[in-house]
Amino acid sequence: MNEIAVELSGEEVLLSSDRALYWPRERKLFVADAHFGKAAAFRARGVPVPHGTTEDNFARLDTLLVRFTPRALVFLGDFLHARESRGERMTAALSAWRARHPLLDVLLIRGNHDARAGDPPAELRFVTLNAPHVEGPFEYCHHSGERERGYGIVGHLHPSFVLQGRARQSVRLPCFWMRKTHVVLPAFGAFTGTMAIERESGDRVFLAARERIFEA
Amino acid sequence: MRERGFEAASFQREVWNAVARGESGLLHAGTGSGKTYAVWLGVLEAFAPIAKSRGLRVLWVTPMRALAADTLRTLACATEELCPAWEVGARTGDTTSTERARQSKHLPEVLVTTPESLTLLLARDDSRALFFALDAVIVDEWHELLSNKRGVQTQLALARLRRFSPRVLTWGLSATLGDVELARDALLGVGERGTIVTDATPKPMRIDTLVPEKIERFPWGGHLGLRQLAGVVREIEAASTTLVFCNVRSAAELWYRALLAERPEWAGRIALHHGSMHQSERDFVERSLKEGSLRAVVCTSSLDLGVDFLPVERVLQIGSPKGVARLLQRAGRSGHAPGRVSRATLVPTNALEIVEAAAVRRGVAAGRVESSRVPKKPFDVLVQHVVTCALGGGFRVDELFDEVRTTHAYRDLSRPEFDWVVAFATNGGNSLEAYPEHHRLIRDEEMMLRVATPALARRHRMSIGTIVADAMIRVQMLRGRRLGSIEEAFVSMLRQGDTFLFSGRELELVRIHEMTAWVRAAKKGAPAVPRWNGSRMAFSEDLAECMFDVLGDAGRGLFVEPEMQAVRPLLELQQRWSALPTARSLVLEQIRTREGHHLFCYPFAGRIAHIGLSALFAHRVTRGVPGTFSISVNDYGFELLSAEPVDWKARVEQGLFATENLFEDVIASLKGAQLALRRFREIARIAGLVFSGFPGQPKSARQLQASSSLFFEVFQKYDPSNLLLSQAERESLDQELEIGRLGAILDRMRVQTLVMCTPPRPTPFAFPLLVGRLRERFSNEEVSQRVQRMLLDLERVAASEEGVRVS
Repeated sequence: MNEIAVELSGEEVLLSSDRALYWPRERKLFVADAHFGKAAAFRARGVPVPHGTTEDNFARLDTLLVRFTPRALVFLGDFLHARESRGERMTAALSAWRARHPLLDVLLIRGNHDARAGDPPAELRFVTLNAPHVEGPFEYCHHSGERERGYGIVGHLHPSFVLQGRARQSVRLPCFWMRKTHVVLPAFGAFTGTMAIERESGDRVFLAARERIFEA
Repeated sequence: MRERGFEAASFQREVWNAVARGESGLLHAGTGSGKTYAVWLGVLEAFAPIAKSRGLRVLWVTPMRALAADTLRTLACATEELCPAWEVGARTGDTTSTERARQSKHLPEVLVTTPESLTLLLARDDSRALFFALDAVIVDEWHELLSNKRGVQTQLALARLRRFSPRVLTWGLSATLGDVELARDALLGVGERGTIVTDATPKPMRIDTLVPEKIERFPWGGHLGLRQLAGVVREIEAASTTLVFCNVRSAAELWYRALLAERPEWAGRIALHHGSMHQSERDFVERSLKEGSLRAVVCTSSLDLGVDFLPVERVLQIGSPKGVARLLQRAGRSGHAPGRVSRATLVPTNALEIVEAAAVRRGVAAGRVESSRVPKKPFDVLVQHVVTCALGGGFRVDELFDEVRTTHAYRDLSRPEFDWVVAFATNGGNSLEAYPEHHRLIRDEEMMLRVATPALARRHRMSIGTIVADAMIRVQMLRGRRLGSIEEAFVSMLRQGDTFLFSGRELELVRIHEMTAWVRAAKKGAPAVPRWNGSRMAFSEDLAECMFDVLGDAGRGLFVEPEMQAVRPLLELQQRWSALPTARSLVLEQIRTREGHHLFCYPFAGRIAHIGLSALFAHRVTRGVPGTFSISVNDYGFELLSAEPVDWKARVEQGLFATENLFEDVIASLKGAQLALRRFREIARIAGLVFSGFPGQPKSARQLQASSSLFFEVFQKYDPSNLLLSQAERESLDQELEIGRLGAILDRMRVQTLVMCTPPRPTPFAFPLLVGRLRERFSNEEVSQRVQRMLLDLERVAASEEGVRVS
């Protein structure tokens, strides 16, 4: 895992190859579109999805928490995937994870999936807010349309970028999409798809290739 | 029947006798020879007199919905005469809900249906009782199902029917086939011998070639054969009704417009028909064709099959049919009645296709029809079938295993494989999972596996079937009607304001919104030609052999067919500058140009195998250093272009053509994983992972949608031993790379005489490859300018040489 430092509205932040953004001055870690319990929701509807995506999510989250030791963790929406994601097993796993990080402040900006799935169980002690939530120069939102005046840190899109190689080969990687008014984070969840973006002039795109982050 | 002037052919009597003896079998006869009556009268005679039990007695399975109505009429007519007590009905995707409701109280004695609708009946809780009295099942157009997953679905359904009614007879009807025994075995399953009846009287058929007056010595497909327009117009004028077959939709669009431009008075008298046009437009064209009110229809494989169009007198094939069977099938669309002549004309679009035309005609004359390949134990179809059986009254694992193993497709299925499939259908194969609330299948008190909830049952019924289309986007006029649908991959390449040809119109893309491309009529201007994926037809091995045959003759100075006489100057030039590739000699041409060092090789193995072969050679020479070669392929051969010279002779001696490590080298050279992902799209849909949704479903349902590529990713990462993944890999190797053919080609290359040539400039065979490579890099105008320049140079040299020889 590595990260790249960029400046947003005069603040230095780090973009991590593991699909998270860290704001060192405030010691806040941002993660978008975790979609916990998505696999379980699929299984509940009879679609077989292999196990391991939830464990993967927690493992990567823990690695990030160890690396940055943030004071607070901000989920930028779509924390739970669907109503069916609130099953016993998922809730138990979330509580166990919370018990490993008792002192961490956790903030959730509600996203479209959260609206249907409902707020996280109270025992997780999340502070759950509607977008936009203003802090310093930033506004935390689920999607960019919710932003008002400040610079947006947002999710929702699951952005990816298609890198064209030689001989018509291409690879598609999740990315940070840095625009004039906001930055879109890649989706964090292990069982999430992506949407290919088209870069416009003035945009910066950072590809998060698990081991390494680099600018496209 | 005889009173009505109906004289039975001998093959028809053979079928009647076999049915009377209680035998199953396959009837193999050309189109328009009276296959339907042969089987139907036999079945009526054998089963109509037996006890008048109500309920379903005979199933007639047809691959096309459009055929069902026609078949229904034919069967009903004969049945009314000979067995008035029997009711004949149809049940397909087109059947109205009132009719369905009526049928669900009591099915007619004779039911015409499709493989999908049959599977839906098998998914009914009372399926056992439904088919209990079944005497016979007839599968029409079996050659159409044999080599695809719909055929496998049919095999599984037949096995189920045999279990429900062990005495049931199975008959298949099939047009000309390469391997009749295989077709019979796949139909009847393991352990049933069955009769094969062949109609020995050949269908009178005339096939010729429209040879253009002027033949270029350096062929390239730049003009799509439109130079032959005048000749095609003449042919159409000479017949009452003509079908003009094109190999790709873009060519059909172009030809349709060109014909209209040439003969504006034909507006309304000629029509266009291809698979991405809206169903209602296609239906209208088909109706008009049947009534004989159309002069010509420009079409693609969309009209290869389907109802008989009696008025069709002529068939024109633009470009090569790429296989003998396909040509026979298309030719048979004309003169479609016993005794009438099928009349087809090949319209080559470049000089090498003239050679192909001669070759394919030899193939027809020799009866060299391609064999089909039957899919081998596709797990996706089996996962679907297992859930279907759970719905259709439930199943016991041991019994279903035995039943499935009686099918040809799954005769080698192992018990662990079957157990995996059942486990996957039950809970995703997570054998240790202790959360039964997530199980799709549950055991009832009689140890039968059944579908757990009505919601799951509904979902499964909606996703039955194995036809998986490319992701399509609707095309709709801004204010007005739907024109059809077009591949998403193509539309996503377009920008707002781009112009493209579709459904015979020039359209401008206005915007794309929610799976609809909104368009308006474009202003006059140069239209972009639409490209469609996957419409390229595979070049058959048998046709390749015929090509070698005609080229071998040419090498000995024999130019038999008029086609070969016409291309003689081209072939002689090829021989003068290099050599003619034949079955015995492998020609490698090395040319040096400003671009670099070219190698041209002509194995005649078809585009797909050439992609694999060229990538394999590049990989073996560079040992995996990518980007060293530029590659170009066509059906005849391939080109490898490098900046540095390569000692190809030494490479050949060092084992360039070896088949050791073929599998590993091909995977390494072609990014096997990406190809497998492409196959997985279909597999995920058939196995029920990806669900296209209920009609009119609210948006919230999308929360339970995921793309097949996401599934592919999570399976690879979290469940790498999943059998659907290995199926995807196998299918990509077999179908996208034709690994079997690759091996055979390499084997042949090792024994062929190697002819190394260093012609001073690109030969007639090399030229189209050169152009093909340019096409991928430059815009259309640039390519055509460059090509014209090259052509001028080459022609000048060739002509001056001839001048020298004459003097």
